[in-house]
This record gives sequence, structure tokens and C-alpha cells, in this order.
Amino acid sequence: MADVVFANVQKRFGSFTAVEGLDLDIRQGEFICLLGPSGCGKTTTLRMLAGLEFPSGGEIRIGERVVNDVAPGERDIAMVFQSYALYPHMSVGQNIAYPLKKRRVPKSERAEMVAKTAEMLQLTPLLHRKPKELSGGQQQRVALGRALVRDPKVFLLDEPLSNLDAKLRGHMRSELIELHQRLGRTMVYVTHDQLEAMTMADRIAVMEGGKLQQFAPPQEVYRAPANRFVAGFIGTPGMNIADGVLRADDGAWVFEAPGLSVAAGDLTAEAQAGPAAMGIRPEGLSIGAGPIKGEVQVVERTGHENIVIVRVGDGMRMTCRTAPDRIWKVGETVQMAVDAAQAHFFAEGPTGRRLNRAGATGALLHPELKEATS
Amino acid sequence: MLKKIVFNLFAWSIVLMVAFPLFWMLVTSVKPQFELFSRPPTILPQNFTLEHYWKLLSDTNFLGYFWNSVILSTTTTIVVVAIATVGSYSLVRFRYRGRETLAFLVLFTYLLPSVVLILPLYLMLVNLGLSNTITSLVIAYTTFALPYALWLLRSFMAGIPEDLESAALVDGASRLGAFWDVILPQLLPGIISTALFTFILSWNEYLYALVLVNSDDARPLTTGVMNMLISSFNIEWSLLMAASVMMSVPLIIAFAFLQSYLTRGFGAGGVKG
Repeated sequence: MADVVFANVQKRFGSFTAVEGLDLDIRQGEFICLLGPSGCGKTTTLRMLAGLEFPSGGEIRIGERVVNDVAPGERDIAMVFQSYALYPHMSVGQNIAYPLKKRRVPKSERAEMVAKTAEMLQLTPLLHRKPKELSGGQQQRVALGRALVRDPKVFLLDEPLSNLDAKLRGHMRSELIELHQRLGRTMVYVTHDQLEAMTMADRIAVMEGGKLQQFAPPQEVYRAPANRFVAGFIGTPGMNIADGVLRADDGAWVFEAPGLSVAAGDLTAEAQAGPAAMGIRPEGLSIGAGPIKGEVQVVERTGHENIVIVRVGDGMRMTCRTAPDRIWKVGETVQMAVDAAQAHFFAEGPTGRRLNRAGATGALLHPELKEATS
Repeated sequence: MLKKIVFNLFAWSIVLMVAFPLFWMLVTSVKPQFELFSRPPTILPQNFTLEHYWKLLSDTNFLGYFWNSVILSTTTTIVVVAIATVGSYSLVRFRYRGRETLAFLVLFTYLLPSVVLILPLYLMLVNLGLSNTITSLVIAYTTFALPYALWLLRSFMAGIPEDLESAALVDGASRLGAFWDVILPQLLPGIISTALFTFILSWNEYLYALVLVNSDDARPLTTGVMNMLISSFNIEWSLLMAASVMMSVPLIIAFAFLQSYLTRGFGAGGVKG
């Protein structure tokens, strides 16, 4: 059952279009990440769902109810803000109790619910403190507590971890996943951090320029990116993308760029001869033998793998992920090979659609199968 | 080291320059009449007396003027703070055509010299049948205190993160509820600064009071005391100084109680930036 629905939602600020033709079906209990670079419209989307912005067109539904004109307080949602937005003049306890107070929950019941929430988030000893006397992580938990105390239908989280240090962020991430599993509530989470999206989300909605680019589970977004933007945005280090041309050679497609030529195999009907792009993830490139000649420029050792950046052809840099046992020297001339089964082909333009046939990704989705056949 | 000493000397000389007239006012107010003009002047009073204070309170209309000033300044402060709070909220939070222009026009009226405004204002107030009333002064003071108050509160209001209000709305508050529960407490230092500013302005104002009010029933302290103690031929120095001391007392009390509020809250956390 769809719990939250965006149907052709638009948001314009004057002549600027922040969100355009957005369609999203979010199922009950799902953890959804809205992912994209800053200014892509993800926060505006969340604020529209919260009722803090009103859509200029289309329809937003929560449950069965159209909420386009419903005030935020009447939507049965809770929101955690990037800035936490704790009320500075209220104690932790008063902060958590505020949504209950506004909904006229009787005082005795209120105290009980606050105590329960504080217990769950380990805030009990801090209930009498003011927000400014807390650390960042504690403030974060108070903000969560204020959202949790009421047991709303949908949780909205706007980059809640971006103000925490790296270690605490990792910790809070797993706590949020656990919390979602325990509560089973629908959560909509805005982030520009793909690691957060990949690790937490059931499905990721990748946005760019106010438009939805892809809405799919993390693995699919990674392995079968819908277009060139998604391909380039997801993954660290990022996908290597080479601009070149597609050429039909005896019914089979061949992609050519300076210094490399790859058999593209079977592509969708959208494929046309002419300018196109090929994307290959760092793990789809191998160094050692192969038709592509290059010069090692940078070697990054992370311990469990090496990231090698190689200069190819007329100056294009390709990033390659290799095993840590072989050390490549800077300046060394190497031969490289592209695993054609892992190559993605995109139509021209920054959001050019992916041209691989769905079947072609089958090998990618089962890497062990691919190794067996090669 | 030498630099530090020179700097300290400089600072203290400024403090002395500012403080001496106040000191002299206080000393003169407790000297008996015969000691006032003795030569060489006595720094500290040889004979301490409170007769001037007693005379002011018992024989003159000082208390009447004082009461007028209290009512006048308090009413003006309440009116100005109330309008400026709501007005600054509108200027900061709502988007509408001409918002910035409006804010600048308001400031523009503040830039006009009061001498230019005083006659038209006087005529308007006479037409309204308000001449010689405290109400007329409340209106007049509001016209020049409000623009500044609006700008002062506007900057305070702009410093309150919008997220706080959004959070209150999501938590179930109405717009008014969010304003009351979240905005007002955050705005308190600004409201207190604005209130102090307005109160001092109306307490010390002289020109408008002189032109607009010509009856003892409505005269505030400034013109009342001048009218009573300064004539073309004689100035009652000791009474004047005693009156000045008593006029300063409410301001000193207000400052003493509220100055901690002025600095408090500026660094208050809760929203991490």
C-alpha cells in the first residue's frame, strides 16, 4: 500500500522551478532517501511533504488524504531538522514534550511518554538540561526524541547527520537503521551523502535539477544507473565516464573514444550512431594486460585496496580499483582492459539515458556468474 | 607596558569627563543653598541636607509631572514594542511585494529632523482634539520611536532561525502558537533593548513636549521641571539638581535590572549552524 504519494508535483519560486513533475510512490514502512547535490530540490520536496512549502501544482497524499493544503501540524508527521531546531529556552524534557503539549495530551500521560522516549534514546539524565549544554550528538538525539515521542505516521529527516563528526555519524547511522526496523514507520530522509543513502535506504530517489532521475533500491542505482547523471553521482571513487562515439559495426555496437574501443554489444532501440558516453566503474577496469595503454599518475593506498589513476589517450584520467598486493609506480606505463560486461553506455548529454539492455545488466547483478563465464 | 598605562589614563579621563557632571549634580542637590556659590567651591558638601528633595516633593507639582512621565513613557513603550514586534515579524518572515521598500520608507521618516515634522503633527493632533493631552505625546513619540524600534527588532528577528518556527509548526503549533511559544522567548533580548531605548527616548524628550502640551495636567518631567524652576531671572539650581537626580533614578533602576538581559541570549545555542 502506498503511504506517501507525490503525483506530478511542481514547485516554483517566482520564475525558478525547484521541483518539476515529481512522481513518487512510497510504501508503508519504507525507508526512502532523497539524494542529490545541493540545489537539486530534495529539501524542497521534503518541506512540501511537511507542509512548510505548498506545491504549485500536482498532488501530495499521505495515506488516503490529499494534504496539499493541510497545515503541518495536522499531517501526522514529525520532522528532524538539519539544524536540530531545538527550542533553546526549553529544557530537553520540555522540548520532547512540546509536540504532545500542542496536541493537548494530558500532563500525566505526557510525562510518561517523555520518560519512555528519553529512556530509549538514553536522554534520561539530561532531561533538565538546556540544549546549549549538550554535545552535538546529544542535541541530535533530543531532536530525534521530539520526533519519536508522538509516534507519527511518517518521519521526515533533513540531513540529520551532517553536523556530526565522522565517527558519530557512522554510529548514528546504524542507530537510525535499527530504529527504523524497530518502529516500522515510513521514513523520508534527505541527504547529499551517498554513503548514507546506500547504507540506510530501502529505495533511493536520486534528484537533480528539480527532477527525479531514478527511484530504485541502492544496488540497482549502483549497478544499473538510469542515466549518466546517476552513474556519475553514485559511487566513490566515481564512475569513469568517457565521451566518444557509437558506431554500428555489422549489427553490433562499438564505442570508440581516443585511446579505447569497446564492443558495446546489444543496446536498446534508443541507441543511435553518433556522440555517446561510456561509463565504467573503477572495479570494471583491470591493469596488467589489455588493449588500452596509459601512464600511472596517482596511487592511493587505502589498505584493503589500491586506487590507481591512469592517464589514457589524449589526457583522460581513468580510476581503477586494484588488489593491494601489487604496487604500481607513478609514471609507469601500463596496459588496461575494460570488462565489457560492466560497461554502461549513455546517450549524449549530461542526463543521457542508459542504453544497455536490461538483460545485459544481468551479468552485473550476479558477479560470481560473470566470473564463471569469463 | 607604557602603552598600557597611557591607554588606561586615556580611558579613565574619558570616564571622569562623563561622570563628573553626574557627580556634580548629585553633590549640588544635597548642598544647602548658601554653600552653592561659595568660593572656592567645595567638592564634597560641608553641610549635608535633603531639604531640596523635601521641598520638591511637598511644595511643587513634581510628583504630578513624574506620574505623567511614567504614564507617558510606559504607554509609548508598550505601544511601540507591540507594533514593532509584529511589524518586524512581518518584514522578516513574509514575502510580499514592496517589503524592502516599506522598510526603507519607515527608516526614511526616522531620518527627517523632528523640527520638520513637529508643526504638521501639532496641527493634526489639534484637529483630532488631542492637544494638551498625554495621548498626543504618546502618538508623537510613537512616530519617531517606532521606525528605529522596527529596524532594531528586525535585525533581532532575522537572527532567529526559521527552522525553529518550522519545527513548532510541524510539532502542531498554529502560526500564532509558534510565535508565542518559540519566537517571543527568543526575541526577548531584542524586545528589552527596544523597550529600554523607547523608554529612555520618551522619558528624556523635550521638544515635542514643549510644543504639544501647554497645561500642567499633562506636562511630563522634562518641560514641567524647566517651566517650574527656570525663569528668565532666576534658576533654582539646587532644586533643579535634586529634580534631575530623581528623574534619573527610574532609568538607573531599569538599566540595573535589565542590562543582563541585553547581553544574554546573543550567544544562545540550540540550533547548530
